[in-house]
Amino acid sequence: MKFIHQVSKGSRYNQIYIPKDAEGIFEVGDTVEVRLLRKKLELFCSKSPLQLPEFKKSLIKQIFSSLSNFHEISQVFIVGSFLTEKADYNDIDLLVISKQKSELLEKKVFSYLTEKFQLKFHILPVSQESFINLQKICPLTRSMLYYFVSNKKFHPEQEIIIDKKHIEFLLMMPEDLLKINANSRTFYDNIRRLIAIRRFLEKKDLDSAKINQELKELLGEALYSRLKNNEAINNDMLKKLRGIIKKKIIELRKKI
Amino acid sequence: MSKTKTLHELANLLAIALKHKIGSIVNQNEIYAQKYARDYEILLKEAEKIAEQYNWSSEDKSMIKQETRKKLQQELEKKDFLDNKKFEIMDEEMDNALKILGLN
Repeated sequence: MKFIHQVSKGSRYNQIYIPKDAEGIFEVGDTVEVRLLRKKLELFCSKSPLQLPEFKKSLIKQIFSSLSNFHEISQVFIVGSFLTEKADYNDIDLLVISKQKSELLEKKVFSYLTEKFQLKFHILPVSQESFINLQKICPLTRSMLYYFVSNKKFHPEQEIIIDKKHIEFLLMMPEDLLKINANSRTFYDNIRRLIAIRRFLEKKDLDSAKINQELKELLGEALYSRLKNNEAINNDMLKKLRGIIKKKIIELRKKI
Repeated sequence: MSKTKTLHELANLLAIALKHKIGSIVNQNEIYAQKYARDYEILLKEAEKIAEQYNWSSEDKSMIKQETRKKLQQELEKKDFLDNKKFEIMDEEMDNALKILGLN
């Protein structure tokens, strides 16, 4: 005889009740085996409010459920525009925390999810150890985690450490844009990056909506929209963007 | 733009692109291997556009390689926050990039 029941919350221990009609079979003192058949799927969201439609919630649950087969993964986060934009998202960003550093995990997860869901995924693999460190030193990681949905409880790290080397590393691309040409979306991403770094150094929150708002005020509505949509820009616009980048880098260097 | 000027521009862009690729590889935080691989790809595409402007002779290709190497070395030397492993992998990464652009 076997039965399937859900585990319920007890005052001291969680418990499984024996159905009334099986009381005579499962008696006190008998030895039984308990096996996990299906993990309850719960979504853990960031403190910052998210309005997710049922379709997105359901898809996220399916993604988490699929990834529960990867034993090397300790936690998964959905982050980025899939959560914050209604339809204007390019891909689904997944931050995958692994127990140990793994070179192959990203490819394995990417192939598996793409094959299963036929959607565009962007996998960011990181080991538990690096993840803890990154939360303290990296403005971009903190900004990414401002809005999240995870398969497990998560409390973002409060401590901030100013790691000059890491900030210099992040400044590499904006600095290069002063002397090389790139598409306009690259300028958009990198000025956003500079705003995020400044807010991090000033210990301000890293809400992507606030960063975007600041960027919009800085560029003006028309140029903001042009860059966001990766449309062509003329020399005057380029000059303006480089002026902004240069000024921001100088400001940041004074703070680190 | 003249062929010589284009060659210099190409070498410059390639050196910068490679600096990002190498930076992502030597960075201890593997998340950046992903993020910076994207920066590298963007810059490599720009280099591709420049490379397509001319037909390059073997002599030109040799000059591009020489100049890229020199500029990359300089770029990497300036970035003291990048691990010194950067110099060990620079030749291999440069050869890979030149191969992608058909400039090897």
